[in-house]
Amino acid sequence: MSLEMMVGIKWVPNTQNVRFDPKTGTLIREGVPSIVNPADLDAVELALKVKDTYGGRVRVITMAPPSAVKGIEHVIGMGVDAGVLVTDRVFAGADTLATSYVLSQAIKKLGLPDLLFFGQETIDSSTAHIPAQVASWLDLPYVYYVDRVEEVNREEGYAVVRRKLEDRYEWVRVELPAVIAAALKSQVPRPVRLSEKLRFHRDKPLQTLTNKDLGLDPRCVGLRGSPTIVAKVTWMPEVPRKRQVFKGDAREAARWLVKKLAEEGILVREDGRWRVRVA
Amino acid sequence: MEGESRMSAETIQKTPAPGEEGGEMPAILRIRLSKKVDCEKQCPEWECLQPSQFDKVWVVGELEEGRVSEPSLQMLTPGLELAKKLYTSLEAVLIGGDREALEKAAREMIYHGAERVHIIHSEALREYMAEVYARVLAAYAHKHRPDVMLFPATMRGRELAPYVANTLRAGITADCIRFDVDEKTGDVDMIRPPFAAIMLAYIKTPTRRPQIGTARPNVFPKPPRDETREGELLWARAEDYGVPRPRSRVLRVERIEKKEIPIEKAEVIVSGGKGVGTHEGFQMLERLAELLGGVVGGSRKAVDMGLVPYERQVGQTGKTVRARLYIAVGISGAAQHTVGIRECGTVVAINKDPEAPIFQHADYGVVADWKEVVTELIRILETGEEV
Repeated sequence: MSLEMMVGIKWVPNTQNVRFDPKTGTLIREGVPSIVNPADLDAVELALKVKDTYGGRVRVITMAPPSAVKGIEHVIGMGVDAGVLVTDRVFAGADTLATSYVLSQAIKKLGLPDLLFFGQETIDSSTAHIPAQVASWLDLPYVYYVDRVEEVNREEGYAVVRRKLEDRYEWVRVELPAVIAAALKSQVPRPVRLSEKLRFHRDKPLQTLTNKDLGLDPRCVGLRGSPTIVAKVTWMPEVPRKRQVFKGDAREAARWLVKKLAEEGILVREDGRWRVRVA
Repeated sequence: MEGESRMSAETIQKTPAPGEEGGEMPAILRIRLSKKVDCEKQCPEWECLQPSQFDKVWVVGELEEGRVSEPSLQMLTPGLELAKKLYTSLEAVLIGGDREALEKAAREMIYHGAERVHIIHSEALREYMAEVYARVLAAYAHKHRPDVMLFPATMRGRELAPYVANTLRAGITADCIRFDVDEKTGDVDMIRPPFAAIMLAYIKTPTRRPQIGTARPNVFPKPPRDETREGELLWARAEDYGVPRPRSRVLRVERIEKKEIPIEKAEVIVSGGKGVGTHEGFQMLERLAELLGGVVGGSRKAVDMGLVPYERQVGQTGKTVRARLYIAVGISGAAQHTVGIRECGTVVAINKDPEAPIFQHADYGVVADWKEVVTELIRILETGEEV
């Protein structure tokens, strides 16, 4: 059997374009385009690189409303073989625990892949929960912050990956099947190719799973299956700042700034030199 | 099985309400004790436990090169506040394989405010493996039932906490910037900016315990250290909680040499945005930072443009910084950026656009061409000229 890989992706509103209604304090979602979560494209790229070397199959899975098919189409355009859309009204409103539960059950039903990839975190909530939660549900080993897959040995059942931490790289040997979370901004996702996108429209490599297929207890999914609830939303309180502004000549501005910082006691002039006073 | 740390009449008697020794039971405790969860409504896959069976606030500490990490100590600040509001005690939890290092770290946690430190030890835990540590921690928490568990959202904390939470089938809220207690329900409010960082969401875990939350390094200050403070060390054998066979191991480590201090520890930060635009521009910022004894950072846009490495990104998807002086150059000041500089002492903004939102978040703003201003600043600092 060949190498089986799966990548979890999320279809997210492009937060750079999100606006708020200052009157109601709610998100204006209308007209906000959705995209595949950028970090998930790192995960897709990482999986495709493994496929380039070892062959096998890469599928993506997403739990989302049907509109997320656009996202599946995008990654298939990058060279992913097939997509799975997990969608059902009862899955809506899920927090990360309920989301990871549904994803895990769907993955179990599809058959555990050898390598299960995720992006490190999403731009709409950036919790980085899902990879570890899915690993917990499926009782799989997991490695975060992976920027390279060095070796995959399916016969002997292990992979060697490199993870990038703040101050070091670690090469980790992990038993298969395993959950791998790709390090943020660690890859350059390959471009979408029209020929691949055409394959999506021709072959329709898309599978849809609803709760009819999964048969999960409604108490365990969606809003009802979410231990956390958003009790209220408020404006972020402002940090009091002086908000003094200097307009005009740049040289004068620089002198003004140095003066102000000296008044604050941050800059001190001693023996003809300016230096920062250590707190 | 009776967990020792469960809330009981005895615990409560030991916790006198402030100012009224032996007086009435504080309202929040009454509420916490009477809280009932309808098990019929819960997912049957989960063990249905009553919130009243849980007590104590835990901070899970981490060791970095054998020493307790700064972010672990910082988490004691919200931990202490929650413990007070919940009328319970603050405890720390440490896990690892080096007895001496663990004991030292535990003392530090006590000097910084923990009343008791649980030390889960085993020779098998000498090497950190997320999955192994997480499973032992989950088993330990399952037995001792803390009401609240806080993790620092360091790289380790971010991989450890969700696994622990999920294994306990508990909720988890990441990257909180405040914690509070809802006096009506006794639930902890985990307060975090969702989405674009303009709003704050109050997130509750009404039916599940422990209530688990994380906060990024530097969001909270470290509590004051007091070496005279005493506390209890509770040693536990990790084997009693089941140490799983590790399914992954580190084969090799390569240090990434860092000349500069990490941005989250810097006292002075000169940060550049899209407006700085080029590597040459950032070299000027480097010079300014050098003269001020600081480091260079950047906005997400500057990172996306490849001008600043990701580990020096300031903001919601980057680092929260606590610099004494933060100079934002050519940064427009989107909410996702300014949320990362809330804890800075003095904020300076240099931008040619007078409408740039960064000026609302700055103490001193200069509307001018950044290059001219920075050039002049460098000159003044180099010559020591009086102003």
